[in-house]
Amino acid sequence: MTTAGVIAAAPMIVPSSVLGQRAGAVPPSDRIAIAGIGIGGRGMASVNAILSYQDARFAAICDVKNTRREEIKGLVDKRYQNNDCMMYAYQEEVLARADIDAVIIATPEYWHAPLSVQAAYAGKDVYCEKPCSMTIQESRALADAFRRTGRVYQAGTQRRNGPNFVWAIEAARTGKLGKLQTVHANVGTYAMWPPIPSKDWLPGEPEPPKQVFDWDRWLGPCPWRPYNPFYVTGGGGWNNWYDFHGGGILEWGSHTVDLCQWAADCDDTHAIEYVPKGANGAPYSVNCVYPNGVKLVMRDGNNLGTRLADDGWLGMGSCSVRFEGDTGWVETGDGGRIAVSDNLRSQVPERIDDRLTLHYHWRDFIDCIKTRSQTRANADHACNSHITSHAAFIAFELGRKLTWDPAKEEFVNDAEANRMRSRAVRKPWAI
Amino acid sequence: MQNTAPTNPTGQRPAGGSTRRAKPEVPAQFKAEPIEKLDQAALIRILGEPGSEPATLFRKAIACKRLAVIGTKEAVPALAALLGDDRASDYARDALESMPDPSADDALRAALPKLKGLLLIGVINSLRRRRDLKAVEPLGKLVDGADAAVARAAALAVGEISGPVAAKTLQRALGTTKGAVRADVAAGALLCADRMMAEDRKGALALFDVLSQADIPSNVRMAAMHLRIVAETSLKRPRTAPGPK
Repeated sequence: MTTAGVIAAAPMIVPSSVLGQRAGAVPPSDRIAIAGIGIGGRGMASVNAILSYQDARFAAICDVKNTRREEIKGLVDKRYQNNDCMMYAYQEEVLARADIDAVIIATPEYWHAPLSVQAAYAGKDVYCEKPCSMTIQESRALADAFRRTGRVYQAGTQRRNGPNFVWAIEAARTGKLGKLQTVHANVGTYAMWPPIPSKDWLPGEPEPPKQVFDWDRWLGPCPWRPYNPFYVTGGGGWNNWYDFHGGGILEWGSHTVDLCQWAADCDDTHAIEYVPKGANGAPYSVNCVYPNGVKLVMRDGNNLGTRLADDGWLGMGSCSVRFEGDTGWVETGDGGRIAVSDNLRSQVPERIDDRLTLHYHWRDFIDCIKTRSQTRANADHACNSHITSHAAFIAFELGRKLTWDPAKEEFVNDAEANRMRSRAVRKPWAI
Repeated sequence: MQNTAPTNPTGQRPAGGSTRRAKPEVPAQFKAEPIEKLDQAALIRILGEPGSEPATLFRKAIACKRLAVIGTKEAVPALAALLGDDRASDYARDALESMPDPSADDALRAALPKLKGLLLIGVINSLRRRRDLKAVEPLGKLVDGADAAVARAAALAVGEISGPVAAKTLQRALGTTKGAVRADVAAGALLCADRMMAEDRKGALALFDVLSQADIPSNVRMAAMHLRIVAETSLKRPRTAPGPK
């Protein structure tokens, strides 16, 4: 076994190709106009990326918080040295602008699919942070919307353009590991993101004035509950509440299950068997099988101490994945390190720098907007990998083995599980 | 609508939980577990409890969530009674939408003439989700109604339900509606045509042609043209081998 790719302390240089400079000077009218919807800490990484590109411009901010709107506008206008960034409280206004080409959606996840679908039908290309949907039904609606409209979609599963992950996936798909047997996906740590979020409520407190913070719009498609500031303030306060958050499996599975599906050549389907192990709030796993026989192990967290079996898992940082074939294996995670079986040692690159992963992902999106091509994390891929994660969630919540029919997109002989494939969306929203 | 979770410079959320805040204590009246353990009869009784304060709404919300998974037709009357309750209606819709029994469709359809505004839109959206064919006719009448928001929701619902009657309804409405309502009639027709493709390819293509006309809003027009091209170039299109020379 060997480990490669520890990043040296060299300064990060972003190549001109990533910055969109190869086309030379781009007139403002030809730059892709992008609006941000719900830009918080996570979305800021994308905004900063956009601001560094020559062939794109950040044109408008939409947010239910007035202070956040003003903060983003200030940042953008300062960067561009003008006063052009427009501010909106409601997405309908920004989606109605014909001069906006694309949107970045970085709201809490329960808004992701409804907003993406709304944007697609409004004629916008979409970059949407993960998780991309809250249910199996939303996943299908998302893929249908982008298939119908021909718009470009990029899920914020940036590891699909992460060099270390791509290296590992290529190893799995090109026979370097022999016949692929098992793929492992690190899902959310049970202590931080238990697989099943709480259905409890917090007690209500007086709502802020609507012009300061619009609680009703923040809730959006979720059923109404009383306002409590804990849900909406920093640190992901909406996490681990059933109506707002998809739980630990979806939290990291939207990245790692997605990578495993690609590695297993299953981007166009879903796992067909789900066996949950463990309890909510304790070490857990969901063992799955793909139609081609490859096994998928969803396993919680990074901590070796929480693993349910001694199966070789190294736990190489957040969002780690491991692919095992009959002649070799590879494991990688955030940070760029790659561990491989002895027989592959000579093939491991000396160094994988993953610091530009987000830029590569954005470049993929922007280039596909220009060429009207499919991104690496397109709506079909996102739909299919999210369906696998949602199905695992349902199996875990029901506490029993489930069998899934990918063609019919329904569980086999389990009425209760089938009833959990969707949730009602609060009026007037629909998806 | 903002995500304020912290990130590191590569845009990745931290692996650890150092920045997470402790969840506040949940008062006993807002704990779900005791309600989730109840049987259907007890859950139905909760739906009939008087009062609209948050603690009562919470009990109804959790009862509905549970009924969404286990509820039978015996729960339908109690759920239907909540469709007129501004706060509880979405929870009741959740339970009705997932219920396999057709009495759920009947209850939703029966609620259409009794409700207005947002409550009516919610029920329309539930019929849309269930793709209730029997709802096409009453929803079609709402497309012509005075409430534009209701008409728009109804148009999209008719399109999602799809079928030949839905197609005719929407084609007719394209000629009678204006502005935002007509835009959603066109969007509904797009959904309708796409869903028709498997059973009625000819009808679907004809509807795409209607939606490709210059007077259709550009977002729908482009999507219709896109789907038309996909249909004509797909390997799934009808193909006949030439006969022997």
